[in-house]
Amino acid sequence: MAAQQNLAGPSDSDTSSVSDQSVSSRSVNRSLRVAEKERRKNKAGDPYVVALKYFSDVEAGTPVYGNDEVEKNMVLVEKVAYSKGLSPEAISVMLEFGMSLRMGTSLCARVLKCLIPASVVPQEAVVRAVVWLGVGKLPISTQVLFIKWVLTIFDLIDAKDQLRAIYGFIFSFVTEENLCPFICHLLYLLTRKESVRVFRVRKLLELQSKLGRQPFLLHLLSLYKVFCPELVTLSIPSRMKSGFRNHNSTWKSALIGVQKRNGSQVALSNNPAFTIKDKTNSRKRKHYHLELPALSSVVNKEAQTEPSSSRKLLPLVQLHSFAQLLENMHRIELPAQMGSLLGSSLPLQYLDFVQDESALLRLNFWLGYALHEEFLFCGDGGALQTSEEALQFLNKLLSTQHFLQEGFSSSEAFLYKFLAVWDGSLLRPQILGLLSNVPVVPSSQIGRLLFEPLMQLFFTSSMFFKCGLMECLNNMLLKWLTWHSVYALEDDLDISLNSHTSINMTLSGFKDSVMELVDFAGRLSSVGLQLEGCHSLFLSFVLDFYETVCDMFLKYGLPLVVMPPPGVFYPAMCATDPVSVDRLAYIMYRYKVNLTSAKSQEKLTEQAFHISRETFREFNHYIVVMVNCLWNSKMFQPGMGVQLGEELLLKSNVPQYWTSFDLIHHPAFMSYAVDFHQKCWPGTKDMDLNSIKHSKPWSWYLEYLFTQGYDGLKQFVQSNISWQLTAGDGRGDSRSTQQT
Amino acid sequence: MERHESSTARTPTNSLVVKRRTKSRSYRQSYQSCFGAGSRLGLTPALTARRFNTSRRAPKSHNITDKVNAEQLALLVKTEWQLSYVTPLYRFRHTQLKSYSRQLSAFIAAEKQQGLAVEVEGPQGGVRVSFSVVQGMVEAVDDAETVLIQIHSKPLFARQDEPQKSVWSGWLTCINGNPDYLHSLPEDFVCLPLFCSSGPENLTTVVKSWFQQNFDCYFGPLEISHTSLQWLVALWTNCHTESSIQHLKMIWTLPVAPPLQITYTVNPQDAWELWSSVRKAPQEENKAGKEVEEDSIDIEEVMSFIQALKSHFYRHFRLDLSAGSLNQVSTALGSAKYSGRIKISNSKYMITTLTLLTECALLKMPI
Repeated sequence: MAAQQNLAGPSDSDTSSVSDQSVSSRSVNRSLRVAEKERRKNKAGDPYVVALKYFSDVEAGTPVYGNDEVEKNMVLVEKVAYSKGLSPEAISVMLEFGMSLRMGTSLCARVLKCLIPASVVPQEAVVRAVVWLGVGKLPISTQVLFIKWVLTIFDLIDAKDQLRAIYGFIFSFVTEENLCPFICHLLYLLTRKESVRVFRVRKLLELQSKLGRQPFLLHLLSLYKVFCPELVTLSIPSRMKSGFRNHNSTWKSALIGVQKRNGSQVALSNNPAFTIKDKTNSRKRKHYHLELPALSSVVNKEAQTEPSSSRKLLPLVQLHSFAQLLENMHRIELPAQMGSLLGSSLPLQYLDFVQDESALLRLNFWLGYALHEEFLFCGDGGALQTSEEALQFLNKLLSTQHFLQEGFSSSEAFLYKFLAVWDGSLLRPQILGLLSNVPVVPSSQIGRLLFEPLMQLFFTSSMFFKCGLMECLNNMLLKWLTWHSVYALEDDLDISLNSHTSINMTLSGFKDSVMELVDFAGRLSSVGLQLEGCHSLFLSFVLDFYETVCDMFLKYGLPLVVMPPPGVFYPAMCATDPVSVDRLAYIMYRYKVNLTSAKSQEKLTEQAFHISRETFREFNHYIVVMVNCLWNSKMFQPGMGVQLGEELLLKSNVPQYWTSFDLIHHPAFMSYAVDFHQKCWPGTKDMDLNSIKHSKPWSWYLEYLFTQGYDGLKQFVQSNISWQLTAGDGRGDSRSTQQT
Repeated sequence: MERHESSTARTPTNSLVVKRRTKSRSYRQSYQSCFGAGSRLGLTPALTARRFNTSRRAPKSHNITDKVNAEQLALLVKTEWQLSYVTPLYRFRHTQLKSYSRQLSAFIAAEKQQGLAVEVEGPQGGVRVSFSVVQGMVEAVDDAETVLIQIHSKPLFARQDEPQKSVWSGWLTCINGNPDYLHSLPEDFVCLPLFCSSGPENLTTVVKSWFQQNFDCYFGPLEISHTSLQWLVALWTNCHTESSIQHLKMIWTLPVAPPLQITYTVNPQDAWELWSSVRKAPQEENKAGKEVEEDSIDIEEVMSFIQALKSHFYRHFRLDLSAGSLNQVSTALGSAKYSGRIKISNSKYMITTLTLLTECALLKMPI
């Protein structure tokens, strides 16, 4: 009986304090409505308002079939309902429209399905609708739908007094076979002491004798017994515990969504029936594919009937620590739904260790399904794409991939399809993050799968996308190289990857893929720098990429050296910020170290790889250009790559134009030169920067630059230029060591 | 050793075998799972994208009535089904159907009475679930046997002696599934990609969630695309000589504001003549040589048939249907809607239609 008391709790207290509560909630409600009205006035031309007006004014008997106006308006209202919810007034209008069957029964169900309140539901509207039930034209299924709706939004009804006033009227529907369970539930919520009457008890008992001890009847009777024990002599089984069965209602998820978005002022109560609903509904939600399945152990154990049944299995659910995992490594049972593992590190560690193919495949099926349904097929939840859930889901996926240090094949397959439809801005950081986890793509496919869609996006997007994409490509390259280096550590370099992988990927195939990627990034960078006017932010991302590229041989053991294209080299060399020039110098220095070491290895070992002459030639050319330009003040000389017509240069009226990109006059370093000049010759009125070029001040100037943190420049100078302090103004010429 | 093995089995379909054998070191596996991730599934679909067949066999009348239980067949034929695709079922056993029946009925009962501590298999309100194999509903050797699920229940206010009524039915099938794909799945998986259901939606939801929880598979809606519908138009029309199609009815939607819906009905004989006129040479070859056994239909023929229908419509109504999309097709052999509802009225040509639908479902597979 105690349980019964408890159960009756919420509605009981509701009843006792009904008068004051309803008064206060009404006044709140009134002010809400006033605000609503104000807002509405401001946008009277709103098509949504027009739509509502249509539904409130439409004549009975207007045909539905072929009526585009009603369709248009209906869609409008539905859109608002699912996104923001309907205001109390709108609820009244729509409910009245639907229940009155002004335009037939088919629309009624549709209207009911979209009645998602934004704040509260006016009681009058519900009462009017209940009255329509009595008219008896409604099909039974629609009647059920309506009562279910009332049950769902019961807590949002602004007052209950009038509903209680028509208790008897509602009670009369109890005899209706299909409505009975729902009517009982509604009555249960409305019952007060004065509602309990002998004739009602009698009716219920009569029904019970006809239908058997149906739980809904028992519940209502038990409540009656609480109020008037003397009227109900029936013994209620003590085992009966909680509320009415849930109705898997259509509205719950949409309602929660709307309330979440609106920052919900009216919380749903903790009515027992509702809490149960919450759980089941999550399964039913149509648009939310992104929910992780619950972690549960395998139910269907008979199906397995392993021979080694003596071995007791430990479900993953019961694991709580890493130590426990280690102890039970041999007898762990994977969960029934692998998707539940995403985001929990302990099981993932286990999964990574056992490499159970079926388990991985199950995880991939689920993940691929979720991604496809949410972002590609978008059956009915297209608008929800940008939702918080999608963001969180992708972040979780990213952190899982980060944790496993590899991408899932299903997310890879998804990305290739998604790139074709992506606008480049939706969830950009997440998508680019996933993209950078893509494993090595065979060079024959890489163009179609990655480069074509990315190129289109690149040229049509903002600079921030361009920067993001360069970063993504850099990360992708880093991951590929890391995989390679891990692999190369285990085996000899020249064994083709083929022996361990099923895909026909040899070392040369891998090299081809990397080559393609680097070339692609080079092309993008060249054009991107032009399009963005050599923006230093973008340049910095490009140089990041080349910092990875220049060290491929030494850091990752990949016998491949690719030089940057001129479109990257020259903009970096002539950049207006010293950092870029310094980084370029560092990159050239690393190229040199890599090439030297590759060359010496080539001489030493038999299994040498071949670096083409072309690469050396390119490298030497760049070095010569850089030294000539920064050091020897010989910009724009014939054969330097950057050439301008003589007349054009003369026309420009730049005196000594050939010096304009040396370390003193370079736009990036000019300010340092000026600063240095002032420190060196304080008080000198006319500044002659050329005076720095003399041997002594020159070396001081270099020293000064190096102390400013330009280490790249320092390494570049030290490794490429041999120059003696003593030798007059003879700054050493560059000789690179790789002349072949 | 390893190298030897892999070199013997480098073809994509066999890649699985290789993978199983080279499980020596976990590190390698993980490296593989990046590299060969796709290849494990008959070369990743992304790499060699599964495509819609551009040519298929002309529907031959199958004597399916000989092979399949008449009662089951009658059920499959008389109902309009809502289609879904299903990812492969993990550890589904055709031998365990009895136990599945019990489990699913318990599951449904539990769902229905959620929050009530009433015994699950009580006399009233209880549902009875039966799983059965539809014997003979397979075409290729790789196809898993079709599974039929039926739910019976007593109406709420029924008398004690009233028999239970069938309230819901559904079936999982795979007809002529892409063999490469099917081969690429490990043995633990059963691929029945096409799920057809009919009955109250809440029961469908419960059944789906039971499958999800027990076989780690996932259901998504399967719509019958514009192209598939056009295929059906052609495939069904092609049957006309053997079994009259009565009428060829198509519903087109044109994207104008307000949306325009056009119902286009063609006389069966006219449709057949038009279809014969766009058919290419093989027919003549057939007469001449009789060597060409497989009468196949090409996508180009389908397209020119549809084009001819469209231009006929244009001549009369000055409306170009190319701007819109085909939404619904129906003939006496069956009807199909874009929303993924299909009714197959004639069991003779069932296999052809199901082959097409299986293909659609497999195209929806995430990997």
